[in-house]
Amino acid sequence: MTRDRGRRQLAMMLAPYLLGLTVLVLAPFAVTVVLAFTEYDLIRPPRWIGTDNFTALAEDPIFRTALVNSLLFAAVAVPLRLTIALSLALLLHRRSRFAGTARTAAVLPSAVPEIAYGLLWLWLLNPLYGPISQVLRAGGQNGLTVFGRTPPQWLTDPVDARAAIILMSLFTIGETFVILLAVRRSLPPDVYELAALEDATGWDVLRRITWPLMRPVLVLLLIRDAILSLQFSFLPALVVTDGGPPPYATTYIPLFSYRTAFEYLRYGYAAAATAVMLALTVAAVALQWRLLRRHEALRDR
Amino acid sequence: MPYPSRAARLWRTLGAVFVVLVFVPPLLLLVSGSFTEPGRPPPPTPRLVPDPLSTVGYEQALALGGLVRATVMSLVVAAVTVPLSVLVAAWAGFALAQVSRRVTAMVVGASLLALMAPATALLLPRFVLFRNLGLTDTLVPLIAPALIGVSPLYVLIYYLAFRGLPADLYDTCRLADLTPLRTWWRFALPVVRPVTAGLTALSFILTWSNFLDPLVYVYDRDLFTLPLALRSLSILDPTDFPVFLAGAVLATVPPVVVFLLAQRWFLQSDDPTGRLR
Repeated sequence: MTRDRGRRQLAMMLAPYLLGLTVLVLAPFAVTVVLAFTEYDLIRPPRWIGTDNFTALAEDPIFRTALVNSLLFAAVAVPLRLTIALSLALLLHRRSRFAGTARTAAVLPSAVPEIAYGLLWLWLLNPLYGPISQVLRAGGQNGLTVFGRTPPQWLTDPVDARAAIILMSLFTIGETFVILLAVRRSLPPDVYELAALEDATGWDVLRRITWPLMRPVLVLLLIRDAILSLQFSFLPALVVTDGGPPPYATTYIPLFSYRTAFEYLRYGYAAAATAVMLALTVAAVALQWRLLRRHEALRDR
Repeated sequence: MPYPSRAARLWRTLGAVFVVLVFVPPLLLLVSGSFTEPGRPPPPTPRLVPDPLSTVGYEQALALGGLVRATVMSLVVAAVTVPLSVLVAAWAGFALAQVSRRVTAMVVGASLLALMAPATALLLPRFVLFRNLGLTDTLVPLIAPALIGVSPLYVLIYYLAFRGLPADLYDTCRLADLTPLRTWWRFALPVVRPVTAGLTALSFILTWSNFLDPLVYVYDRDLFTLPLALRSLSILDPTDFPVFLAGAVLATVPPVVVFLLAQRWFLQSDDPTGRLR
């Protein structure tokens, strides 16, 4: 009897979490998929329109721009973020002077609330008041840099604006850094001792030991960060560049979907855009799964 | 371990200093900008310490933005969400370490999936759900993430921590006829106290900074949390930067202090088999 009671209690302890997963994650997946095939404005009940939303998306130039922007952002920002996080982890994993302070400093920007961080950059990038432009203009004349060129127009030039959003994302690598730090510390020290005995150069150690040992984790983090780029590109685009400069230079899929739903009240259409976002996510997870399986197969051989 | 050469150590130190010099200035600039006097033309040369130093930005931010009320709302949300999320995560993690392997595998799989889904992709469907339940424009959707432990990652961390406890502990408790709830409270939870401390801190930081959820669920100004109030402050006058930077500093202080207090649990233990195991 007590066994049964024990089991009932365990089920009770797990229940709130299962409820949360169902309501906040699984149900939203289902809702997105269903809504994507409807026309819905929150007032009238959803009207089934089949695949019309998706055909419209395929022909929508704004959505296409947003898709290309999102992929471009991920293609540039994610490898950079990962490289920075990895370099920091390799540099700071050992006890040395200032290493502790540097570790804290590297994670600090990630602890700043997203909106405060966005507003900070709204000021930093301002062409007139922003310290970045001021520093770049220092020593130059008539608002030009020392080399006689105009400083980047972060908020009005499409290429510069995209670069600015990428630049913003490079400081918030705390989570990835903490994971890589833990992974680097868990690598077996005797391999490194052996390498030191054989007078291996730092480059050899990196290429022959550290890199192969850390590669599986790096692949996972690469894919995870690529998916998360659909999340951390939203706020900068909303607050700092407002999706512009015109026409839609920094409109990414999340912002497109947000505006379509909450500003233009086309919930079905926005759900279709969200479904594309989820499909990209699922594809990335599947890829990750395959890579992991292949890695395990190689290791077991 | 062979001692690294002096030159190598010097390079490491220089590298560490460089990291500090790159990652700290943005935050210093945030503080510096917030103490600039509003409405002045930009100084001809960039300066780290504004001249004159002025707290007008703070006064205006507090007067215009309704930041005091928003801070209270943020505190209310955090006061409910943080303990609830830690309880949910600790219970779920403990149960996962005890139930059959099939159930554990399924729940862990679902958690990993939930971890992968970008928050922006869940925003719209969650909104439709909450709207149909009549819960938009209340604080409920802001507290709801507590049911997944704010992040499913925290459930998984608790699961690993509880699974790492010696099996004897669980066996002894079972023989002594202790219920799982008592085992959890009297024996398991006290052992993983560092995990609880670290996760409480992270849960607070995440909850306090939550911007996406209030953005879509809350329109009533009286219910605005601090991040949302900051956003409307910046829309009010996007060129009056000392004012919204002052607001940003006020919003940044609590999570940064909590982070600085908590960071030793996941950053500074030089022994990798340390406390989180």
